[in-house]
Amino acid sequence: MNRSIPITEAHLEDEFGERVAARLEAGARTLPADVSARLRSIRMQALSRRKVANVRARTASAVFGSGRSAVMTMGNGSGPGFWGRMASAIPLIALVAGLVTIHLVQAEDHLRELAEVDSDLLTDDLPPSAYTDPGFIEFLKHGLQQPER
Amino acid sequence: MASDKELADFLQSVETRAFKRSVYHVRDQEAALDIVQDSMLRLSEHYGDRPPEELPMLFQRILSNCTLDWFRRQKTRNALFSNLSDFEGSGEDGDFDLLEALVVNDGSQRTESAEETTSRGEILHEIEIEIQELPTRQREAFLMRYWEEMDVAETAAAMGCSEGSVKTHCSRAVRALAAALKAKGIQL
Repeated sequence: MNRSIPITEAHLEDEFGERVAARLEAGARTLPADVSARLRSIRMQALSRRKVANVRARTASAVFGSGRSAVMTMGNGSGPGFWGRMASAIPLIALVAGLVTIHLVQAEDHLRELAEVDSDLLTDDLPPSAYTDPGFIEFLKHGLQQPER
Repeated sequence: MASDKELADFLQSVETRAFKRSVYHVRDQEAALDIVQDSMLRLSEHYGDRPPEELPMLFQRILSNCTLDWFRRQKTRNALFSNLSDFEGSGEDGDFDLLEALVVNDGSQRTESAEETTSRGEILHEIEIEIQELPTRQREAFLMRYWEEMDVAETAAAMGCSEGSVKTHCSRAVRALAAALKAKGIQL
């Protein structure tokens, strides 16, 4: 007999608590519009923070994964070894080699052009009378010296 | 790991109750919104990768911690403890007859007719006032146990106390509420 009383009380307590909770739940459905809007905005803010974390995590895992796969093809997978570092330097080496090649080709072209002009001047026909022309002689003497001034 | 939709659905399902519970605790709407915001951000930022079934417990724990942080910031903890001791003292006298208070509620259909003359909003307001008057731990246990529909073990885990303490808090809260509402002539 004595055992039935605490059980009944506990049962009644639970029933009463559930009835109060039902009232609270009904009242919570009618929140003011500004509060509902604020709660919605808070929820969206929380979700956006989580998305930022997701993007960071995914980006980090993707970079880590791609880097690891690249290393796996060249090394033992324990980290970027000698060949891995060499492979990462290939683009820089190719750039420097390209610049040097371009410089050499341009210098060669420039020299070739000067040689062609000189050869043209040397091989061009000059009438013998030109050497007897005083103006030409003056031109050779002073005309060639003027650029040095 | 919970998907974005699962997390969104979970937050939407708890936001209203979390807000109202915070209001009951701090009695300040703006502060309650701040507490809910802090709780949701903490859950999303730090525990967003947890399985969906873990989210309710985590959120209840975070909400409790955020509420406590708010009280710490407000430096009203001593006042709360004094209120707690007042309520603890009144709850232990054992003079209140719970059975007498609750037997009347067996005919719930009859009370429905009485509700027609009393505003539901007014009754809800009185209930909320009495819930706010409960000691903090009793209120927390009562709301988790009956409103959040958590069992005793879950409530104990969320509150960081024993299951026996949860049962005691809930029992005292129910008795205090029943007595207060009966004194106001409110029957549920």
